[in-house]
Amino acid sequence: MRFAIAHKTATYLMVGFAFLAMVTGGGVSAPISFGALLLLVASWWWEPPRIKFEKWTWVWTVASVFALAYAILTSVLTGDFLGVGAQFLTWLTVTKAFNRRAARDWQQLYLLAFLMLVAGSVLNPELTYGLCFLGFVVSSTWAMTLFHLRREMEDNLLVKHAADRASERVEVRRILDSRRIVGGRFFLGTGLLSFGVFLAAAALFLALPRVGIGFFLKSRGGLTLAGFSDGVQLGGHGVIKNDPTVVMRVEIDSKYGGRKAPQIHWRGVAFDRYANGNWTRSKRAPFNVQSEESGPTRDRRFLAFEGRPNCSSPEAASDPLRQERCRRGSSWPLISVPEIEALAGTLVRQDIWLDPLDSDVLFGAGLPRIVEYPHVVRKRNYSEERNDEIRLAHGSTVHYSVWSDLSTPPPEKLRAATGPLPKGYEVYLQLDEPGKPPEITQRTRAKALEITRGLTNHYDKAVAIQTWLTTNLSYTLVLEDPKDQEPVDFFLFDRKKGHCEYFASAFAILARAADIPVRQVNGFLGGEWNEYKGYVAVRAGDAHSWDEVYFPGAGWVTFDPTPSANVDVLGRGGDGLRARLGRMLDTLRFQWSKWVIDYDLASQLQLFKSIGGAIKSAALRVKAAVVATKDAAIEFWPIGGALGAGGVLVVLLRRRRRVDGLETRAPGRRRVRSTVAEVFDQVAKALAKAGFVRETAITPRELATRMAARQDPGAPQVGELVELYYAAEWGGRRDPAAEVRASTLAREIRDAIDAARRAKRA
Amino acid sequence: MGLWARLRRRLRPPRRLSFTREGRLIVIMSIGVGFAAINTGNNLLYLLLGWLLSFIIASGILSEMTLKRLVVERRPPPRVFAGEPFLMEVVIQNAKENRASFSIEVEDLVGTTPIDKRCYFLKIPAAKSQRTSYRHTFARRGPYTLTGYRLATKFPFALFRKSRDVDAPIEILVYPARVHVPRPIPKTTSRGETTANRLGRRGEFFGLRESRIGDDRRDVHWRSSARTGRLLVREYEDELARRVVIGVDNALPEAVRDAVTDGALTAAAETQVSAVERAISVAASLAASYLEVGWTVELCARGLHVPAGVGRIHEAKIARALALLPYVSDEVAFAALPPRIESVLVTPRDVAAANRPTATTVMDV
Repeated sequence: MRFAIAHKTATYLMVGFAFLAMVTGGGVSAPISFGALLLLVASWWWEPPRIKFEKWTWVWTVASVFALAYAILTSVLTGDFLGVGAQFLTWLTVTKAFNRRAARDWQQLYLLAFLMLVAGSVLNPELTYGLCFLGFVVSSTWAMTLFHLRREMEDNLLVKHAADRASERVEVRRILDSRRIVGGRFFLGTGLLSFGVFLAAAALFLALPRVGIGFFLKSRGGLTLAGFSDGVQLGGHGVIKNDPTVVMRVEIDSKYGGRKAPQIHWRGVAFDRYANGNWTRSKRAPFNVQSEESGPTRDRRFLAFEGRPNCSSPEAASDPLRQERCRRGSSWPLISVPEIEALAGTLVRQDIWLDPLDSDVLFGAGLPRIVEYPHVVRKRNYSEERNDEIRLAHGSTVHYSVWSDLSTPPPEKLRAATGPLPKGYEVYLQLDEPGKPPEITQRTRAKALEITRGLTNHYDKAVAIQTWLTTNLSYTLVLEDPKDQEPVDFFLFDRKKGHCEYFASAFAILARAADIPVRQVNGFLGGEWNEYKGYVAVRAGDAHSWDEVYFPGAGWVTFDPTPSANVDVLGRGGDGLRARLGRMLDTLRFQWSKWVIDYDLASQLQLFKSIGGAIKSAALRVKAAVVATKDAAIEFWPIGGALGAGGVLVVLLRRRRRVDGLETRAPGRRRVRSTVAEVFDQVAKALAKAGFVRETAITPRELATRMAARQDPGAPQVGELVELYYAAEWGGRRDPAAEVRASTLAREIRDAIDAARRAKRA
Repeated sequence: MGLWARLRRRLRPPRRLSFTREGRLIVIMSIGVGFAAINTGNNLLYLLLGWLLSFIIASGILSEMTLKRLVVERRPPPRVFAGEPFLMEVVIQNAKENRASFSIEVEDLVGTTPIDKRCYFLKIPAAKSQRTSYRHTFARRGPYTLTGYRLATKFPFALFRKSRDVDAPIEILVYPARVHVPRPIPKTTSRGETTANRLGRRGEFFGLRESRIGDDRRDVHWRSSARTGRLLVREYEDELARRVVIGVDNALPEAVRDAVTDGALTAAAETQVSAVERAISVAASLAASYLEVGWTVELCARGLHVPAGVGRIHEAKIARALALLPYVSDEVAFAALPPRIESVLVTPRDVAAANRPTATTVMDV
């Protein structure tokens, strides 16, 4: 490949990968990205002699001024400095690609490419960044190497000297068009080098300590999912889309995983107040009660779900959090850290990687009891958490661990669960707004009583309501507007079909009408089991609503009134090729998120611990092998001694032969002629052409002697060359100085022959 | 090698490293990215930092591999004259079997200081050699030692320039500057005639002398040669007619000689030194001029005598002797110039010296 083309190709690849790394995350708008890509491609042909750069300078200058003004204005108006900055960076790159005149312009292109990569690190945390980064590493190695060579050539370093006149600059154009400077071997070699650079970069990445302070965190806008914000609105019309975007990946005990594992409810937000067709969190809803434990790498919170804080204990006076809880009136006690540890052993652990949503809620299976997340230097601002929700502000994928209670108390216990509601739990019986006309219709209330007639405990009543809903109503994703009618009433008596939110709302309303404390929960149900790495991929389309019923003395129990025909076990996705490829791709994305984006201090310590453990076990194995060998050597010492002595003898003999300069060749391998021998062959051909032919029976030394006797031109040099030839071919020594001298002698012989020929002609 | 030189050699770092502008920029960028990574906790910035650091490390490793197993041979021309530019040929051999070396710079060293000429090799293929040359001028005659050479490269990314010094001394003897000087009109003849008698055996027998290259074998006086153990030939008067003795006064006052040694020349001392150098250059040019037309030339100076001879080899001998001619006191004796032979004494103007011999022609330069 021509040198200039090779350099240009490598540079464009480098810029292209950096550009794609920045724009594939969506940080730069699609039209601008596409337009810039087209312009970058077009700039390949924009160069002399086709184009005169000077003619177009003013155009680019004016356009750049406009672009700068536009960027400043847009960033001030929108506040999106990073996004607009990325757009302006794109413009600068395009401009520079159209103005590649001198070495400085190429250098600026490289700098812009690097800046695009830096911008991409904030705008694009996806797998595409990793793939583009790999391409960038390879192409930048080529580009920078070739640029260095090109600049050295163009900086007048190639000069032809002469003693009697001024030195002349070598024509660089010819060298730039040469195909002999770089070839396949060069690219292969530098490609391997870049692979080594990539591995070293990965090693450094894993080893560099993580101590994020978090001043300039860039939050990404998360996926907007209805139902996970501050309220749920029943009603509306249209078709609910089944969004396949993966929002969460969960590593869970294999007992709960697998393609045929049962469905898991991933609890998120919980609402207690129903009014005007809306579910919200009321100001009177109970706050979470929890213990907090702050560690060097991870912080942990224990969610009580039961009990009351001990507001009169000495610890309460010194614990600001407990004081706050007591002031707010929460009524659950806190438990100690050892008790939390013991409890964690009985719960099901999940490691969850949650992509950013438009909500700060965290999800967990069943009833989450303990949650653990990365420790940060800066104090976290906790959101208000009621109804046992877990919230954690995160602008990017967050990795946290949850220990959940997936067990359900036996029906007998639930049937026997009676007693007063804890303080504040009256909100879970709310049907009407105080001071306002009742919204829930009479026929709805009557239906609740009808369904639960004759049943004496809350459990049987809840089961009855659930059964009635699943058998008498059907599931649909097509929404119909209830207009002015109360949505639950419309669903129960007119429409008689709806999606999970309607089923959950209806259950809650009917249960409350039957005097059962209930809250509605939104989260996800099920997911797709990924067999490649053993995790559950939960998609946006898995969003679901269900209910939690409170049983005094037993706690909250999950009830899901949505017909199960439309939900699946974790095997969703099928086993076809397309499904498998999709899961493979998601595995890559997950690993990228786990080992790159979300790699934190805890992960690092765990990795070092694993490496340390692996080294230790390997060392132990080696030690055991050495001991076993020693024991065997002692037991079979005559054989061992003979082998050892034989080995030492062989080594000594080989060293002696090397010292003597003898080449050791593997038998059967053809001897390669030395460089001096090749020079000698060329000289012999030249001598033969000049009339000094060596017959077969004449040795080279005899030829040299004859030439010396006849005082033939170049005779002394031929004699010296012959001696060098003998030493190189049969002396077994390779002497770089001799090779250099042989080349000199060859030149002198040729000069002597030419001089003799000219003299003869004259 | 003296103790101090050995110690210096041991303490000399095996490699020299100096950052280029791009290298400094990369380092600054690395620091900036590192700071941003620690600040934000953004793992992709850590990835970029890892790449920058490994880029720098790879640059160091590859530059080291590029410099390995390169052998340089410097070939000066056979004769170098003071004040005249010459081409120093530089041949570099890549002894690596499978790897080419790119972007290599070679500089000659005097001590640890490079001379101001740099040779550049874009590519040296595996197991091949490349050659180039540089022009240089030595201002003064005398022996020069190029103690070694420096191999340097900025390959692959021009982040820094790595170099290693190699001890490979070569001696260059710079001959006196060549000047155009006309041969003076001869003032001596044999037997009083302006031209020698060229019939027969080139005139009367004059004496015996040691044989020189080019002498006719028939002139060998075998009996004397056997007696003395040296090859002696008959010398005839005719030869004397084309024989000249060139003398040059290389005396300088002691103060000036001391100043030359100390390297602290005043303007007056510089004038005197230049005068002596000019005289030596004239003497060398005269010798070359006579030898070119077939004369026999003998050279005398204070503390120096080059017996008469002819031919190019003798010219080189005279040039070498004059290249190495030291400044001496005027008390050092001049060899007496033979009376019947043409002699030219070249004396430096503005340098007063005693004990100058008498010559048929005196050139005050």
